[in-house]
Amino acid sequence: MSQELYIDPKRCQGHARCWSIAPETFGIDEEGFAYVLPGREGAYDEESAQKAIKNCPERAIKVRDVEVGK
Amino acid sequence: MAKTKADLENFSYHGDNLDDIFEDYEVMVNECPVGRSKRYGGFAFLAKNDDIFEAEQDYETFSVTPTMLLPDLEMGMPMIPIDLDPPEHTGYRKVLLPLFTPMNIAKLEPGMIETARQLADEVVEAAAANNGVVDVSTLFARPLPTIIFSRLCGYPEEDWPKFDKWVDDVLYERTEHPEIARAASAEILRYFEGIISARKAEGGERNDLMDKIINARVDGRELTLDEMLSYSYLLFIAGLDTTAWGLRSSLWYLAQNPKAQQQLRENPDQIPAAVEEFLRTMSPVQAMARTCMRDTVVQGQEIKAGERVVLVFGAGNRDPEIFEDPHEIKIDREDNRHLSFGGGPHRCLGSNLARKEMVIGIEEFLKRVPAFENAGGEVWHGVGPLTVRLIEE
Ligand code: SF4
Repeated sequence: MSQELYIDPKRCQGHARCWSIAPETFGIDEEGFAYVLPGREGAYDEESAQKAIKNCPERAIKVRDVEVGK
Repeated sequence: MAKTKADLENFSYHGDNLDDIFEDYEVMVNECPVGRSKRYGGFAFLAKNDDIFEAEQDYETFSVTPTMLLPDLEMGMPMIPIDLDPPEHTGYRKVLLPLFTPMNIAKLEPGMIETARQLADEVVEAAAANNGVVDVSTLFARPLPTIIFSRLCGYPEEDWPKFDKWVDDVLYERTEHPEIARAASAEILRYFEGIISARKAEGGERNDLMDKIINARVDGRELTLDEMLSYSYLLFIAGLDTTAWGLRSSLWYLAQNPKAQQQLRENPDQIPAAVEEFLRTMSPVQAMARTCMRDTVVQGQEIKAGERVVLVFGAGNRDPEIFEDPHEIKIDREDNRHLSFGGGPHRCLGSNLARKEMVIGIEEFLKRVPAFENAGGEVWHGVGPLTVRLIEE
């Protein structure tokens, strides 16, 4: 098992706090909603990602278990 | 004398009540997380950060209908999109979402910087002509958002000087003198009716906010004139005054805190964090209303279907369970999940714009204007004058 960072699209309302705190990890789409930049799913334990998690007003940035090799 | 639970029966978040409202909040978050006030026809209030967050997400229990404003503006129609719940709300909001993404707001940055510099120059000139004393609200905090937002919307420049009075009449007179607010609302609606018909007659594209509303398609159809007016009115009311308040309250704080002022002058990269903290503690929007749609229980207290419920963002922003030393303004606070832009489907559409304007405004102000101190003793809230004295080096 390993873990990955993801945005819960039902929760994200486009405050863009994640992107301004950790632009190396989060992107914002055309309508203003956030996504985790491809390849950055493993960055959940980095300081800036943790800060983004704590500052997301919708609590939309989450970490989930993924099966290794998938 | 410190306030007690009994004072909350008359709790209001308008006008003079804001002078010492942080004392109300202290009682709320510690002793009365769900309570009731008799004002404005009576309402229940939620003060805890988590309860407000949950209520914003749960629009089936806490609806924004008939309106988010208390007291009501008596417009006779819902304001689009803030007075509508999903799914109806979603289509209207989508029309403007792309304009307010951080990438799109970044395109406005050069214009914002230039305008902020010009206004800051005018502050310095006005002070020089008046023994160093100057009203930085009237000369800076108010015009900056008015100019930037008016440009984004496409309001003709010759009309800008009329706007502040209209906004003041609607937002600050409505609790005491609703007739003044109604008259101003009628004028604003007439004004937008004129803009809409002129644009329709001219045709062409301008890619501004008014155009987006006029050309919007929601569920495959065009908006009716009433819908266009409602949407335009809401943006006007929401876009001008809030950011002015945000800037003014930031300068109000800096005027009496030379150390913080100095720190931000020397480290402009710390301004964004400071802005979050100013928003947390002195938010332009201290509360918004909902209507309870089904009997529910919050913090062990029953709330009945049909009751008006006020989400007191300002109290949730000072909830000791979430924020360390909640009443202290720490300009370098790291974790700052404040409620000032609201949350859930009604998250302030303009939050990215407001944040950018505040950061640029404060940065350019501090770059151009020398050290300043409070000289007028004005209150922290509102968009009225803010008199400061520039200190000679
Ligand atoms: S901070 Fe949260 S709500 Fe805002 S864009 Fe990022 S994930 Fe979405």
